[in-house]
Amino acid sequence: MTEPLFEVRGLTKRFRGLTAVSNVTFRVAAREIVGLIGPNGAGKTTIISLISGTLVPTAGDIVFEGRHIERLPAYRRARLGIGRTFQVMKPFPGLSVLENVTVGALFGTGGGERNRTRAEERAREWLKFTGLERRMDQRADALGGPDRKRLEFAKALAMNPKLLLLDEVMAGLTHVEVDEVVELIKKIREKGVTILVIEHVMKAIRRLADRLLVLHHGQQIAEGRTDEVLRDPRVVEAYLGKRRQ
Amino acid sequence: MNRYRWLALPIAAAALAVVPWFTSDTIVQYGINALLVATLAQAWNIIGGFSGYPSFGNSVFYGLGTYGTAIAMAQLHWSFGSGLVFGAVLGVACALLFGIPILRLRGPYFAIATLGLAAVMSAITATVEIAGKNIGLILPLFRGDTLFYELSLILLVAATGTVAWIARSRFGAGLVAIREDEDAAQVMGINTTTYKVAALTVAALFSALAGGIHAYWITFIDPASAFDPSLNVRMVIMTLFGGPGTVLGPVLGALILSAVSEVLASQATGVASLFYGIVIVAAVLLMPKGLLDLVQGFRDSGWRYFVDNVRRYRI
Ligand SMILES: Nc1ncnc2c1ncn2[C@@H]1O[C@H](COP(=O)(O)OP(=O)(O)OP(=O)(O)O)[C@@H](O)[C@H]1O
Ligand SMILES: [Mg+2]
Repeated sequence: MTEPLFEVRGLTKRFRGLTAVSNVTFRVAAREIVGLIGPNGAGKTTIISLISGTLVPTAGDIVFEGRHIERLPAYRRARLGIGRTFQVMKPFPGLSVLENVTVGALFGTGGGERNRTRAEERAREWLKFTGLERRMDQRADALGGPDRKRLEFAKALAMNPKLLLLDEVMAGLTHVEVDEVVELIKKIREKGVTILVIEHVMKAIRRLADRLLVLHHGQQIAEGRTDEVLRDPRVVEAYLGKRRQ
Repeated sequence: MNRYRWLALPIAAAALAVVPWFTSDTIVQYGINALLVATLAQAWNIIGGFSGYPSFGNSVFYGLGTYGTAIAMAQLHWSFGSGLVFGAVLGVACALLFGIPILRLRGPYFAIATLGLAAVMSAITATVEIAGKNIGLILPLFRGDTLFYELSLILLVAATGTVAWIARSRFGAGLVAIREDEDAAQVMGINTTTYKVAALTVAALFSALAGGIHAYWITFIDPASAFDPSLNVRMVIMTLFGGPGTVLGPVLGALILSAVSEVLASQATGVASLFYGIVIVAAVLLMPKGLLDLVQGFRDSGWRYFVDNVRRYRI
């Protein structure tokens, strides 16, 4: 494996009595797509929140491009190049779709594009890329489910991140839409972005992820190449078996 | 036509500027109050309308501007200009000092904390020797309504210009993002603490300057009038009435509601406040996003605009 873009060592998060993430360690190389899977409540979202800075770890290190970031506030991490989506989507409801995405372009990696007109142009390109162009002038809260997912995506992309953390962007999408998003994620990787993706849609995970990390009750129960991990009996028992696929 | 729209503002400002030469003293005096209150609404708009933080502490900044100017002039015998600066420094310092802890709170908690700040400041002022304790201070008398009117107008234009800049700037986009979803704003790279404190500080600056002008004009101040919480309520109502987060909404809201209450005050006062209350309730129900949104919405969908609003925001 080449020099990792980022790595997590001994990451632990406790909420009062509950240990949501327990001693998790993994590395992600540049331009890799790593899948994060596990049953409900396994601690997947918590890991993304710890990496993006929305939550503060109880213990452990997060190293991004050779630099410890576990104590940095979320906005500093965003400027270093870490973008995320939210499982419970967080659009700016009263703003237009274009304005939503422009915020990503105005801030984001390296502080973003400071000129508003140019940021807007960049936002338009991302809207085209995610297929939201015709919704540009609508208010974000007027969008339907799939378009909201796209918006969540476009906002994070407009930040021009080096590392993109995707939290169940395919939940609730139809087969056709899932295929579209899979292609979209592949295109993003081709642009040089590294991706950590949480997903329950196994078909998509199989096609996307180079490697998988499996969580169960906050513990890391498997890690490795996608095809190998999916054959691992512990993974089948803890997660896949119950899904009867 | 649209190309010349930006001209409308300088023309309106110029028209307002010549008012004292064509009207009576009472109108000019009414004008000073209206312009100052419009400035206060515009300042509230920055923290409340753009950043979405419902501040009830803006009357504190106003009060500190009032007292700063009064102490400087009545006790230290400074000039009016130095007094204004001193009041502004007090207001800004207060915003910087209390903004950081208070702006960590969200929604109703923030509102309550700012209310607390208002009560504390008024109580403290009433015990400070140099501030004239609970009796207050008397400033040197200066008769010059026209001057105060023009000063108030300049301040309102400056505040509105600042808001116009904010509305088009990266800073403003950051504030609006904070209002719409603070967590999302933060993970997109916005230093939310700095942005919120900056917004509160700019609001404090204009509020304090308005307080300073008012102090010298009215010449007598005491803690109850300088830190009057109902003044803050008026800022909120006027901004919401006109259109929070817009450039001209708060000014229109303030000027219209000032006129309405002025006309009503000359009638029976009980009926007046009742009517004022009805206007506010009707406005909140029928046009919760303010006058400017009403104009736009009415153009788009006619009378249905009201029906839609009542439906959409039904509690
Ligand atoms: N802010 C919080 N306070 C307390 N407990 C929390 C908090 N956030 C998450 N938890 C708990 O931590 C555990 C892990 O939650 P997390 O959201 O990370 O799971 P997940 O793997 O993303 O699940 P899902 O597949 O349902 O999204 C759960 O038991 C959850 O209830
Ligand atoms: Mg989750």
